Amino acid sequence: MSSASFETMYVQHFNEGARPIDYYLSKMNGYTALKKAFGMSKDDIIGEMKKSNLRGRGGAGFPTGMKWGFIPKDSPKAKYLVCNADESEPGTFKDRDIMRYTPHLLIEGMVIGGFTIGANTGYIYIRGEYTREAKLLDEAIDEAYAKGYLGKNILGSGFDFDLTVHRGAGAYICGEETGLLNSLEGKRGEPRVKPPFPAQAGAFGGPTIVNNVETLADVPFIINKGGEWFSNLGKLEKSGGTRLFSVSGHVNKPGVYELPSGAFTLRQIIYDVCGGVLDGKKLKAVIPGGSSAPVLTADEIDVIADIDPIMKAGSMLGSAAIMVVSEDYCVVQLLLRITKFYAHESCGQCTPCREGCRWMEDILHRIVHGHGKTQDLDLLIDITNNINGKTLCALGDAAAGPVASFVKKFRPDFEAYIRGEKHA
Amino acid sequence: MPKCTIDGREVEFSAGENLLEVARKVGVEVPYFCYHPGLTVVAQCRMCAVEIEKFPKLQTACSTPAGDGMIVHTRSEKAKANQKSIMEFLLINHPLDCPVCDKSGECDLQDNSYRYGDSYTRSTEERRTYIDLDMGPVIKKNMNRCIHCTRCIRFGAEVAGVREMVAIQRGNSTEISTIDGRPLETDYAGNYADICPTGSLTLKDFRFKKRAWMLKKTATVCEGCSRGCNMEIQQDGGSVYRCIPRKNMEINQYWMCDEGRFNYQYLMDPTRIVKPRIEGVNTTWSDAIGRLKATLSGKKATILVGTDLTVEELKLIQEMSASMLPGSTIAHIGTNGVSTTSDDGAEDQLLKRKSKTSNLHGAEKLGIAPYKSMASGSEAVLIFRGGKAELPALTGIKKYGVGVFTESEAQGFEVVLPSTSFAEKDGTIVNFQGKEQRLKRAINPMGQSKQIGEIFMLWKNSSSALRAEATGVA
Repeated sequence: MSSASFETMYVQHFNEGARPIDYYLSKMNGYTALKKAFGMSKDDIIGEMKKSNLRGRGGAGFPTGMKWGFIPKDSPKAKYLVCNADESEPGTFKDRDIMRYTPHLLIEGMVIGGFTIGANTGYIYIRGEYTREAKLLDEAIDEAYAKGYLGKNILGSGFDFDLTVHRGAGAYICGEETGLLNSLEGKRGEPRVKPPFPAQAGAFGGPTIVNNVETLADVPFIINKGGEWFSNLGKLEKSGGTRLFSVSGHVNKPGVYELPSGAFTLRQIIYDVCGGVLDGKKLKAVIPGGSSAPVLTADEIDVIADIDPIMKAGSMLGSAAIMVVSEDYCVVQLLLRITKFYAHESCGQCTPCREGCRWMEDILHRIVHGHGKTQDLDLLIDITNNINGKTLCALGDAAAGPVASFVKKFRPDFEAYIRGEKHA
Repeated sequence: MPKCTIDGREVEFSAGENLLEVARKVGVEVPYFCYHPGLTVVAQCRMCAVEIEKFPKLQTACSTPAGDGMIVHTRSEKAKANQKSIMEFLLINHPLDCPVCDKSGECDLQDNSYRYGDSYTRSTEERRTYIDLDMGPVIKKNMNRCIHCTRCIRFGAEVAGVREMVAIQRGNSTEISTIDGRPLETDYAGNYADICPTGSLTLKDFRFKKRAWMLKKTATVCEGCSRGCNMEIQQDGGSVYRCIPRKNMEINQYWMCDEGRFNYQYLMDPTRIVKPRIEGVNTTWSDAIGRLKATLSGKKATILVGTDLTVEELKLIQEMSASMLPGSTIAHIGTNGVSTTSDDGAEDQLLKRKSKTSNLHGAEKLGIAPYKSMASGSEAVLIFRGGKAELPALTGIKKYGVGVFTESEAQGFEVVLPSTSFAEKDGTIVNFQGKEQRLKRAINPMGQSKQIGEIFMLWKNSSSALRAEATGVA
């Protein structure tokens, strides 16, 4: 499939000129979906969302329509819609482009979302490092307020919606939705015990929906063109729309690519879309969904790059951040770097993650610096088993997945270090 | 009632009960560290994870409410493997300094390690260490031993009402500390040591004094105020080493204040009078009783009774004084400014009461009036005191004391007959809710102190008692 033969929603607008609200209104049918949504019943909106087969773009891939349906219709407490713009999974940079070039898509999506679930307050929790994007969002929100797309009685519908950008302080764990909510409330960014899930008791105790930037930015398209149209963009069942892939590492053309869901294999993305491995080198490994996704070897990339096929292949699509590793790069050192990240970002609440991540880092550090022992590799696998699925939130799994997969798939590389043939 | 099955045992539960508590009902113990029934559930330690049929992952028993028809396995292979791995994780950075740790012998980490852990470690990495700051007079912190259960943080914020313990740093470097390293503020700091599942927070007062397993424990009641917190006196060889709270959901739940906790120290005050005295000079019981009898009989006395005495003692004093000191009046003393039960209110939002004696409510029930001033025509004052009842200023009148006094308190007393404190006797006290509670004797009376009943007996039968004591024939 050539890269021109499919419909895209975003990439044609990814330039500095697309940011102002005038562009959005004239070139992107801006805020027409909102008008349409105000004329629809809330059940109909959720119905369209379900039909669209939109699955959360943050990493977990949960069907968005179903998530919205979890919000109780009657609640004595105020409801909230929160946009997770903490985009901190290493390798992911797609939400940044949405916020940078088409912020009004996100804003319109949030107003529609707020209207649907009955929330009058929305927050965009943006990672601290995105200083420029936070400012751009603030400017876009000001534009929307000025035109009456935010604030009291939006477009005469009687619906009020206020939107605030909240900047994080740079913790990866605040991308976990309950950690994010704690941080939003001014507490330590530590995940909460679930249940209760945010849809029952989230921000400030009220029913809350937390959605990814890309997920919310998809909403105006779905409302305007219908759930079925959106679903048909995807080439697999139960996975609609296009996806923004963040491709990085040793490829000739890294960047953000918008591709139909389920249309391309990893091999096609790397070799056809992104121009192949840098300097014509051989491919060593691919991390298909942000650094927490288990690694795939060069032989395992003939898999469709979508949620379910990649899960079947033993990894995950996550945030669709594809990291390409060429033969020149040492996977042992790469794993140490990844593990160091998770050990550093562990919040420290629960035992397996707090102790286990650091332990794995220590062992890997030893191996890389020439002090590895034969039993270390089995010990590492054992530690990942003891972390995986045993932690309070998904960070433990995120740290264990890479270690287990790297050690299992590239064991000879590790053994070379342990034998003393290599060291940093 | 709904039912679930835990390790093959069917058990009924009420809605909302968590699996950990439900399991306990049928004698199944699920190990845990961070859970505490008096604090919110955080499910952080992951030790209590159990296998529930039809659930793909292990679930923490503390945070999972029991469900009808649930089938739970707390000792399945998966659950056991998790318990073993959590113990391993907790110990890779623990100093394992049990031989010099005060918590040893009553340490959750030690006990659970023994039962659920492995006897060897696979870790060869350097252990994490911290530098500890002083936390004030009550608690000694040893962060190296900490397992990050956050019970102390939650106790401060949720029970004591002070957000003073916090987690600083993150991940593996997380440190539990006071804000900016300030000393602890709460009057309930001792509870931090009680709820700490390791030797990370220990009582400075108890530090290095005794191994926990040497202590003999007596379940009794605190006499520090009119609440009557349930507590345990722990002693060895007649010396009290510490007091810790016992659970009583109607009175003190799981807690006690520092004032009550360290109240025991006056028992062993070196200036406490534990031998009979006449005009400040130690003497024998027969001489002291003889002097009391000779100088008091036939006189009109004002009898002051401390509201720190038990109901039985007060009743005895009422009855005996009616026959032995006819015409005398009885009034109670206790806390200045709190002379009746209607003056006795809450002193803080948690446990403390204004009346600093234990039995004000019991004394009032017996019809004893508060002391206001000397009854007209009184020629002497006889004071019965069980502990720390506040003494009024009395001048120009002969004073006699029976009970617990220090040398400075008994200055100018004609006779002092040492008697017993709350830890040295059995008896009943009535708390502010009207609940009757039992004091249990934990240690023998100090020195030559005698029970008040015994003293009355000596007094009444003094001629024969004197003879017996003088000749050495009982």
